[in-house]
Amino acid sequence: MLSLFRVTEVSAHCDLPCGVYDPAQARIEAESIKAIIAKVADNDDPDFRTRAILIKEQRSELVKHHLWVLWTDYFKAPHFEKYPQLHTLFNEATKLAGASGTKGELDAAKADELLAKIDEIATIFAETKKA
Amino acid sequence: MRPALVRVRGRSMLPTYREGDVLLVLRGLRPRAGRAHVVRLPPDAAGRPRPLAVKRLTGRDPDAPERWWVDSDNPAEGVTSFDVGSLAEADVLAVVAGLVWRPLG
Repeated sequence: MLSLFRVTEVSAHCDLPCGVYDPAQARIEAESIKAIIAKVADNDDPDFRTRAILIKEQRSELVKHHLWVLWTDYFKAPHFEKYPQLHTLFNEATKLAGASGTKGELDAAKADELLAKIDEIATIFAETKKA
Repeated sequence: MRPALVRVRGRSMLPTYREGDVLLVLRGLRPRAGRAHVVRLPPDAAGRPRPLAVKRLTGRDPDAPERWWVDSDNPAEGVTSFDVGSLAEADVLAVVAGLVWRPLG
């Protein structure tokens, strides 16, 4: 199969296709957090509120997970050189999903701040995809 | 010594070789530790054959000195001996002699 007269393709891949990353995953979870905060505000049922808060904390963890996967697996050294604000963006975004943000609080403004940070990351992500 | 041409697909050999690079490879030579080679990797977990791959032979397998340990040049990507174990010498098909052509741009 190896020949001088035909170019054989040789793989330098992982088993899974590369490039299956998207900040949309983090955004969907953050949208869900914002919707939960709105639902809790309109409801006095303690059981409902407990359940909603539990789900909100889980979703906040998922936001952090998806952002960290992008941070560590998708973005590479040349990206961090070109976008030196990326590290701070990820730090601030995951903080906004943490105990001082949407995980620990029922503040819709925090959810909006989190969505805005995810969008900033998504903008950079889209630029790197175009390159 | 029989020459052949191969084209690189994927990013696991960055920064040395990148997507689209055409390499001259030589069959019939003894494998050389430290050089990139065309290798046959074992089938994946589902039993499907993997395509021929370009990997670097880092050295002999310390637990089986007749076998070769392979690694990617890009630590973030690629199937390596850390995933699939070392390779028999028969699965080391050719040594990479050099870059023949790199896509423009």
